[in-house]
Amino acid sequence: MTRYLSFAGIKFRSKMAYRFDYVLGILNTLLSFVVYWSIYKALYNGASEVDGVTFSMVTTSFLISLGLSAAFHKNEMFLQDKIKQGTIANELLKPVNFKLRMLFEDMGEGAFHVVFNFLPTVIIACFFAPIQAPSGARDVLLCLVSVILGYVVLWEISFIVQSWSFTLFSVWGLITIKNVMVNILAGAYIPMWFMPDWLRSAIRFTPFDSIYFTPVQLYLGELGGKEIVFHFARQLFWITALWAVGEYFWRSGIKKLVIQGG
Amino acid sequence: MRTMQTAKNIIEVNNLCKTFKIHKRATGFKGALKDIFHPTYEWKKAVDNVSFSIHEGEMVGFIGPNGAGKSTTIKMLSGILYPDSGDMQVAGYVPYKQRKEYVANIGVVFGQKSQISWDLSPLDSYEVIRHIYRIPPKQYKENLARYTELLDMGSFIRQPVRQLSLGQRMRADIAAALLHSPKIVFFDEPTIGIDVVGKDKIRKFIRTLNQTDNITMIFTTHDMQDIVKTCERLIIIDDGQKLYDGSLENVKKGYGSSRIIEAEFESLPISLDLSHAVVSDADNSGLKKRIAFSTDEVSVNEMMSALMNTHNIKDVSIREPEIDAIIRDIYEGRIVMN
Repeated sequence: MTRYLSFAGIKFRSKMAYRFDYVLGILNTLLSFVVYWSIYKALYNGASEVDGVTFSMVTTSFLISLGLSAAFHKNEMFLQDKIKQGTIANELLKPVNFKLRMLFEDMGEGAFHVVFNFLPTVIIACFFAPIQAPSGARDVLLCLVSVILGYVVLWEISFIVQSWSFTLFSVWGLITIKNVMVNILAGAYIPMWFMPDWLRSAIRFTPFDSIYFTPVQLYLGELGGKEIVFHFARQLFWITALWAVGEYFWRSGIKKLVIQGG
Repeated sequence: MRTMQTAKNIIEVNNLCKTFKIHKRATGFKGALKDIFHPTYEWKKAVDNVSFSIHEGEMVGFIGPNGAGKSTTIKMLSGILYPDSGDMQVAGYVPYKQRKEYVANIGVVFGQKSQISWDLSPLDSYEVIRHIYRIPPKQYKENLARYTELLDMGSFIRQPVRQLSLGQRMRADIAAALLHSPKIVFFDEPTIGIDVVGKDKIRKFIRTLNQTDNITMIFTTHDMQDIVKTCERLIIIDDGQKLYDGSLENVKKGYGSSRIIEAEFESLPISLDLSHAVVSDADNSGLKKRIAFSTDEVSVNEMMSALMNTHNIKDVSIREPEIDAIIRDIYEGRIVMN
């Protein structure tokens, strides 16, 4: 395991080279946050709460889910490019679990974006938007753990779609559709509270609300003792289930792999 | 850990087969449209019932024309591709089944695919490799120092790979494949596109390593000089099938008695009626002829006097056939090896 952690570490450090990139990243995230914040400000129109949801809850929810979805953005053409150019051969020659290595390298990149993109955005946003303070140190810690688990869920969905490049060769269109789906269903565009009941109860059976909404709820202290356990269990369930699905596509993929280009 | 099945053979391949499904694309707009609904496929046997075994420490040249199935065989041996049928065992592992454990024992150099990162320097890439293979610090340091010297990499080891020449990049790639001290190394066209001096450096390095470290090596190439300078054993495959497996010496020896006389005649017409020789034009002038024959049938002496008695000869040379010419004859089916 320490070996895989070092892959994450190497990736984190190599990202440090692109400093200009993250300054622009902060601006980008702030801009989309301000847009959504303004829309909801107009919708609330001075009301203290709507359906029991306060304006600062909505603002905080947006900051967390939009900020994280920006920070977790990554190159999803990775596997397709490797297969197209045949460089997947080089990856298969390494005595490591390819999927785990890819996950940890992406986690290194994600952690970098959280530290140098997400956190500065949060700090800046605190100056002008009504961001709710966490209810306690315990909630922050639980939120952090669920962010990591949520990332793994998000990553696995991406990996499954990427692994279809073994048979389809081009998955760009599917990735785009998947990203829109994830952002809507995971509540990055519309907070989960305002979704129609039927949609919300449908989403409850999908992995999508364990990505951003579980961390949001934990941060806001919305969940009680039993519910916390249940939400973590659900995240772990999706991680295991999606891993198995990804493993299936990956294994059947490399079995019929054709190395392109000589 | 599995124990090795036989002490001697490190690679054992039996009746290996691999077929590729090739999508035959139709041409034109209409064809492309038809293709979406009724794609046509073709099956190509890339490797067809190939068997061989290789001893520990052996250095084997693997040759064949483009598309013969060399690279596919190498990729199956290195655990990247799954065979359709057949058995193989390398260093005690079944490569495609135990890929993760197995690949720690081998090194692979692809002449056409760099394994080191384009944006990093070779040294930075080696650091990543050190983590991936968990190379002990002492071994890493020693190997790095040794390869840097042998491959003459001191001047460019800290430069980003994108700024290196092809020859430098290739040497950096070779070192990358060897840092973890593999037992077996596969070289898939390591000298492709490299100049004479660069090729020589690579060949010398490979030769040295094979002799001092007893590393088993398999070498595919299109340059016969690579084989002549490094390997003792030769496996020739074409159309997915093994055509020859034996010593390089034997290939040459089979032709030990053949000679080629190249003669430049003073004037036309030239009428050569030689019963035991094959005559062909050596250039466009028609004055230079190439006469191939076997000394088992005609002695050089007889042949020369036959020529000189009938014609005036300006210049003459007598040669043994080159390995390239022999291999060409084997590829084109003019010679059947057994």
